[in-house]
Amino acid sequence: MNEEALGWVIRTRDPEFADWEAFTQWLEADSGHAAAYDALMMADAGLADILPDGAATIAAPANDPGQRGWRPVRWRGSWIAAGAVAAVLVAAISIGVMNRADIYSVTTKPGETRTIALDDGTRVEMNGGTTMRFDRHDSRFAALDSGEAAFMVRHDGSKPFRVTVGDAVFEDAGTVFNIVHSGHATRIGVSEGKVIYNPEAEAIALPAGRALSDDESGLRVMDIAADAVASWRHGRLTYANVPVTQISADIARSLGVRLTATPGAGTMRFTGTIRLDRDPERFFAGAAPLMGLTAVKQGDGWLLKEGDGPPR
Amino acid sequence: MAGPRPFAPDLLDPSRFMATGLSAIFLQNRPALLRFLRARGAGEDSEDLLQDMWMKLEAKDLGPVADPLPYLYRMANNLMLDRYRSATRRERREQDWAEGAGGVMADPSEDIAIDDRLILNQRLEEARAVLRSLGPRVELVFRRFRIEGVGQRTIAEELGVSLTTVEKDLQKAYRAMIALKRKMDTE
Repeated sequence: MNEEALGWVIRTRDPEFADWEAFTQWLEADSGHAAAYDALMMADAGLADILPDGAATIAAPANDPGQRGWRPVRWRGSWIAAGAVAAVLVAAISIGVMNRADIYSVTTKPGETRTIALDDGTRVEMNGGTTMRFDRHDSRFAALDSGEAAFMVRHDGSKPFRVTVGDAVFEDAGTVFNIVHSGHATRIGVSEGKVIYNPEAEAIALPAGRALSDDESGLRVMDIAADAVASWRHGRLTYANVPVTQISADIARSLGVRLTATPGAGTMRFTGTIRLDRDPERFFAGAAPLMGLTAVKQGDGWLLKEGDGPPR
Repeated sequence: MAGPRPFAPDLLDPSRFMATGLSAIFLQNRPALLRFLRARGAGEDSEDLLQDMWMKLEAKDLGPVADPLPYLYRMANNLMLDRYRSATRRERREQDWAEGAGGVMADPSEDIAIDDRLILNQRLEEARAVLRSLGPRVELVFRRFRIEGVGQRTIAEELGVSLTTVEKDLQKAYRAMIALKRKMDTE
């Protein structure tokens, strides 16, 4: 493969490319350059057959100079219950001792929240259905094993606060951020300061207003409204074009209800804010129509199905 | 939705431009554009291509354009790519005719059989796996650039890495993807 020609393919494909004179000079330097460039441009066009169409990310018009070109969709802000304080009081928190004596784990049940105050002044607010590990002798360490938590980190440049999530590490740089981890998917939103994703590997910097998600469809970064980060602490669920499957997992975690969605309902997407309510009947009566869905009680759980609204 | 079409044709969308005098800029830079088309391999057709461009500019009344000169260069470059593409296609068709011993050729783009669809999906999977194997950042950079049509400078800012890093990631991803595509095409 002609490396130089490849370089020019990439450069001229950039919507901001402007140095056509340098390109002309390169072409003139050797009569074979134009052919090599054409061949690689054809190969580039051919890649369209084997590339995913990017549907998962919904790009804005790529060359619209007014926007950064990317309105995010996959990120979800989170939410939780108005009764958070009460929930903490009654929460049955299991504190398990790990094999290492200084590591302890904290688990909240679905519908419960808990605030962990670390010695250095950092606060971690755990949402329902969440398991985390902390180190008694190292207040700059936390691990999110599953669930969701918001972090208000007291920054110390000489000793950064680090959260491990599966194989990934998030390192703060003076920061308020929220992480959700379920199955193989991880999502983080940053509302203040900056977080570094995997500082020793990819080292992706996430400033305030940015979010990152890593799931089976790959790693993405996107924008997030700062007030949508950890909105669960204010009794809300805030979403921008998020599939209902993800939303129902959040609702289940927040309210402590068993909730499933029919396949049809699960693939639908919702944008907006859902107010949480401790009373499931009242909550679903308001929230389901908001999403264009119907909620029915099934035994000890709930089912979200496609709405009874006008046929589409 | 589909990714950006090849050769960034939305750059030709006039609605995003603001300045004035595209035709004037064309006339001022005619020699440079001619030189570009010659270098690009248009040979004796260069003058004709410029004439085509001029007609298009006049007929379409594109109105004001923000970065008129890069816009004109890109227009010229796209003309050359179109030429190359149709020449390759013609060549291939003639070859197919010869090999087909005069049989009726179906338009290859007409309909895709179910088997082909399966192969297509398999290839998508394979491409995704190759991209994944290059590491998350390379994958992310390539996806942003090639599928979502975002510029390198913007990507570098988003990731908080240098422009050089983004360039290197793209080279790496492109090498792997083009090699994969070539391998698939010979299968």
